[in-house]
Amino acid sequence: MNEKSLLLFISIVFAVLVIYWISIAVSLIYRRRRKARLMKIEIIFADIVSRYLYNDPVNPLTLEEIKTTLRNVGIRPRNKNNIQFVIRLMIRTQRTILGSNFSKLQKLYAEIPPYGVSIKKISSWSWYKKARGIREIYEMNQSQYFDEIFKYRDDKNIYVRREAQIALVVFLGWESLRFLPYLKRNITLWQQIKIVEKLYDLYPKPELKWLHRAYETEKLFGKKLLMRIIRKYELHEEIGFIIDHLNHEDYEVRETAIYCLQTFAVSSSTMAYIKELYNDIPNATQQGQLLNYIYENSDIDLEFYLKQLYSNNEDLKLSIAEILWNNGYKEKVQEFYYQQYPKASLNVG
Amino acid sequence: MRKVLVIQEDIIILKILERLVRLNNFECKAIRSLEDLSIEDQQTNFDFIITDILFEGIAPLEFVAQVQEVLLHKNLLIVTNMGQDKVKKEIFALRGITGFYAAPIDLDEIEAIIQAY
Repeated sequence: MNEKSLLLFISIVFAVLVIYWISIAVSLIYRRRRKARLMKIEIIFADIVSRYLYNDPVNPLTLEEIKTTLRNVGIRPRNKNNIQFVIRLMIRTQRTILGSNFSKLQKLYAEIPPYGVSIKKISSWSWYKKARGIREIYEMNQSQYFDEIFKYRDDKNIYVRREAQIALVVFLGWESLRFLPYLKRNITLWQQIKIVEKLYDLYPKPELKWLHRAYETEKLFGKKLLMRIIRKYELHEEIGFIIDHLNHEDYEVRETAIYCLQTFAVSSSTMAYIKELYNDIPNATQQGQLLNYIYENSDIDLEFYLKQLYSNNEDLKLSIAEILWNNGYKEKVQEFYYQQYPKASLNVG
Repeated sequence: MRKVLVIQEDIIILKILERLVRLNNFECKAIRSLEDLSIEDQQTNFDFIITDILFEGIAPLEFVAQVQEVLLHKNLLIVTNMGQDKVKKEIFALRGITGFYAAPIDLDEIEAIIQAY
């Protein structure tokens, strides 16, 4: 490498470094300015919301003033990032407030500019934007877009239908259960829990009419969801639905039924019925779980436990023997084990 | 004039509470952290302190203890996003807490307490 090419190489490296430094400087300046801009938007938004919720009769805040202020701070249709930031602020604020102020906020959100952005997202090809748009609409409680959201309740994309189903719960509450029998695509466990929690947060008073209608569902995910709702609301009068699924042919339905049943204490006649179903459960682990429930929630039924001890179910005999042993029936356990070895002699020394 | 100190890191809640207090004819000092307090504030006996408990670098209970120790006040209201039962119990186990409001909050309840004062 001669002197000329070396100099050329150094100048190229230097030029690359300069470009690199300039890009870092531009990025830092941009970030700083962006941060300052977002902070300004947040302060302006906070000021608008506070003045709107507690309007001073002497100096009232008008809708026109709100729109102008937002426009001046950069909330315009072409500034999509700013609009998205305001939507996040709106959702955050609405989540923090209850009561009459919550209704006031809803009214405000229906009137200020960013509000049309979320519904446009629903028309997007991208599932991500669509799901996000649905979420923003239900988070801000913009129920006038319900019809638009409703059609996505059974969408092929899991995230879109997930958000649409939550929106249904938010807008319709218990009535949303009436669509359950018509859903074709699976509702995952996570989604079931989300639906139950949302329903409980927003509609704490049960409306059994809709629950009873949803009992018609043949879908396994639907049955599991309903059992989780019964458990969450502690609907003692609906416990029959859970019990009827203890011996369901599907493993996960049985698992949910046993899990949900554990929240409830039942009458002795219901417990007798559960004991009858116990033998129909084809899985030993699940039988063990139900056995624990029976043991913890009822008095010792010697006849039931002895029947299980002398049955062909080898997997649970030790657990049953343990229950009997610890509850004053040692001789019954000894008798059972001795009768297995009739010719053995005792070596007592 | 009756005085209220509002300490909230969330600017939106801070502004809303400040507005609520001012419209109920209280003098209000609204700050985002204890660092924003002036010496004069530390000598003021506030009728109400409305504060969050979740601040960077300090445990919630420690923060409440610090507020109680450092600032003169008659009533202490906690308004926070940390609404877990355990936190609530621990806060009430401290003495001198007038109220605990976890998000989502009903501002009408806070207003009623202030108006009743």
